[in-house]
Amino acid sequence: MDLSLTETQELLKRGVEEFIERETPLSSVVSLQQSERGYSDAIWRTAAEVGWLGMLTPEAYGGSGSSFMDAAVVFQALGAGAIPGPLLSSGVIAPLVIEALGTEAQREQYLPALARGELVATFALTEPEWGWGVDRVQLRAEASGDGYRLNGTKLFVYDAHAADVLLVAARTSEGVRVFVVPATAAGVEVRRLEGLFSAECQVRLTGVQVPASAMLGRTDGGGTAAALEAALLRATPILCAYQVGGAQTAFELSVDYSRRRRQFGQPIGRFQHVQNHIVQLVNHLDGARWTTYEALWKLDAGKPGVEVSAHLAKVCASEGFVHAVNYAHEVHAGVGVMHEYGLTLFTRLSRSLYFALGDPKWHRQRLAALLPDHELSEVA
Amino acid sequence: MDFEVAYSPEQEQFRAEVRAWLAEHVPQVEGDRDSDENYEKYRQLGRELGAKGWLRPAAPVEYGGGGLPVDHAIVIAEEVDRYDLRLPPYYDSGGTLGGASILVWGTEEQKRRMLPPIFRGEVVTWQLLTGPEAGSDLAGTTTDARRDGDEYVLNGEKVFVGGSHGADFLWTIARTDATGERHRNLSWFLIPADLPGIQYRRMELLGDGNEGIGSGYKNTIYFDNVRVPAAQLVGGENNGWQVASTHLELEHGAGGRIGSNRLFRMTREWARQLKREGRPLIEHPDVQERLVDVFVQTEVTRLLNLRNYWMNQSHQRMSYEGPQASYYGKMAGLEVSQAMMDIIGPYALTTDEEWDVSRGLVEPYLKSAIVALHPGGTADIQKVIIARRIGVGRDIAERAGDTGGQAAF
Repeated sequence: MDLSLTETQELLKRGVEEFIERETPLSSVVSLQQSERGYSDAIWRTAAEVGWLGMLTPEAYGGSGSSFMDAAVVFQALGAGAIPGPLLSSGVIAPLVIEALGTEAQREQYLPALARGELVATFALTEPEWGWGVDRVQLRAEASGDGYRLNGTKLFVYDAHAADVLLVAARTSEGVRVFVVPATAAGVEVRRLEGLFSAECQVRLTGVQVPASAMLGRTDGGGTAAALEAALLRATPILCAYQVGGAQTAFELSVDYSRRRRQFGQPIGRFQHVQNHIVQLVNHLDGARWTTYEALWKLDAGKPGVEVSAHLAKVCASEGFVHAVNYAHEVHAGVGVMHEYGLTLFTRLSRSLYFALGDPKWHRQRLAALLPDHELSEVA
Repeated sequence: MDFEVAYSPEQEQFRAEVRAWLAEHVPQVEGDRDSDENYEKYRQLGRELGAKGWLRPAAPVEYGGGGLPVDHAIVIAEEVDRYDLRLPPYYDSGGTLGGASILVWGTEEQKRRMLPPIFRGEVVTWQLLTGPEAGSDLAGTTTDARRDGDEYVLNGEKVFVGGSHGADFLWTIARTDATGERHRNLSWFLIPADLPGIQYRRMELLGDGNEGIGSGYKNTIYFDNVRVPAAQLVGGENNGWQVASTHLELEHGAGGRIGSNRLFRMTREWARQLKREGRPLIEHPDVQERLVDVFVQTEVTRLLNLRNYWMNQSHQRMSYEGPQASYYGKMAGLEVSQAMMDIIGPYALTTDEEWDVSRGLVEPYLKSAIVALHPGGTADIQKVIIARRIGVGRDIAERAGDTGGQAAF
């Protein structure tokens, strides 16, 4: 048993932290948020150069083939800085989906370009009658000529406004399959949505014609719905780590503020109600943290029960991040809602990512289905 | 990271030895596990474990412990856990927490004299902390120990202590300087329980009927001019608050715990056995949802305890983690209790022989979850300590007590 980070992981973590200190402190993220795209070229260039986008991609496809825990260490640190951009979409979810579903040729075509940051991809699943189960997909892909014709609307698609290609889950006569659709293809309309979102978009596909080769795994039969569900589940703990990072910063900001802010002649942290907010916050933070780490360990070590652990982690991370931010707002009161202070970056993320790769309700439903037959380990 | 204890071939061999030995020595008990007759069987098991060095496996061998590496101690703990037992297999709060404190703070002479009987299971020791005037405010105790020659004369009262089968020693904090500065006026004593002037009165409490944290039986103990040899004072006169920091740190959960999620497993089993509308409860969606709630709560509790176990065993600097696990566990107990009521309905409340599917487990659990809110510091006190350790409102965070890397032996 060893719950510490390895030396490599400590270095990875420091690397991200130093980048954030140097280039993207919270104040700069606040101003980026008001820009049209929401992130900067500098962030993207660094992510590509340092290798954050190809961590989970095997070396044979231009990635570093790192462990899930290594990648999570980086994404937790990025989450702590509320670093924006399609990092999770194009650096984690898309590569995992393509690697799991794609043919050899498709992997070679897309994975190296994604790892280098030259290609930006995002995965589009949810629709107006939304839901994170693959079985909810209604958007149609009908055989047409030598390929397929796609019709329908994808909603709440993260980072589509920045994507070069969209990985669109669509219903075919053989079940749900994933199609690689260029964002510039005729009939594709992407619109970023206003609201308490990070980068959610609407993607409307009207008679979009794609070649048969656009279907992931078509020629080798690998692109099944089951494979897609498995790939999304593997991406989930990395997303959780990003949420843990955000909750960690909400915690640190709150502790710091409890020391500096004085009312009634003393630091507000001397008041037990304020202390209680921070105690509840750290309990949510650590619940999210350790369920996430255990899921990552199971992924890396190939342990049984990884599905259950991933669902549990997302329940704790999504609920925990929202609660953590709420308690942080109770501690900060007025100052917390001033955009320039920075807490609202995490407020926004906690709400937006609550739903990403499935909201807690969906993951609880999955747990309800799995737990009656779940094998519990004898010890630990 | 690695969440599993890695077992070497040597450990697996040791496990086989332990398993075979336990199969031969763990007593068969029928009925109330805590009856006088059964209690004596578990004491006897304790003595036999103690003679092998397996009662307190990781405690130093020169003081009566097993002197075994942590890897072996883990194996013994796991194998004992298979019988739903802990080490020791009976209530010995003063031996567990006092033993660790004496190891950190006792003189060499005291360690050689006091620890072997404890670590070998020859004696039972109760910890006596709470007084009528000193609950959460432990430092406010008014039990007095006045020096008189080679003895201290104790007067005062401790409440909510011990169990139902008596003790050989009492591990007690008392005031050695009635007018002294707070936190610098206390001392610890290991008091022979048979000294003249000690009186017991039983307290009947809501509880699970077993000795221990959820016990339905506690005592008030009165000290009336009890003369305690000065050699029984541990950790230096008026240094008792320092000693307490070790004791309390362990009591507050810093030792951690590894084990399977038995609570969830049991709840699920009952949901399989009972029926509603002709179908097993576990097939009902509302029951499945509540089982998820139980799972989430108990898994987070398990992981926080596992983290603490690792931190303590690997000598990491601890901060708020001990009281956090304690607080979380207390609150989860209440949440899980309510989920159990939702899952199995009014069956949760019965101990009736015909209708209690859990055979004496759920109803006691519901009661002990409430009792467990206060021992080792109330839930509110745990929160106060967590906040201090984090440094909420303070420039310098309070440091955790020194456990000397000792888990509870």
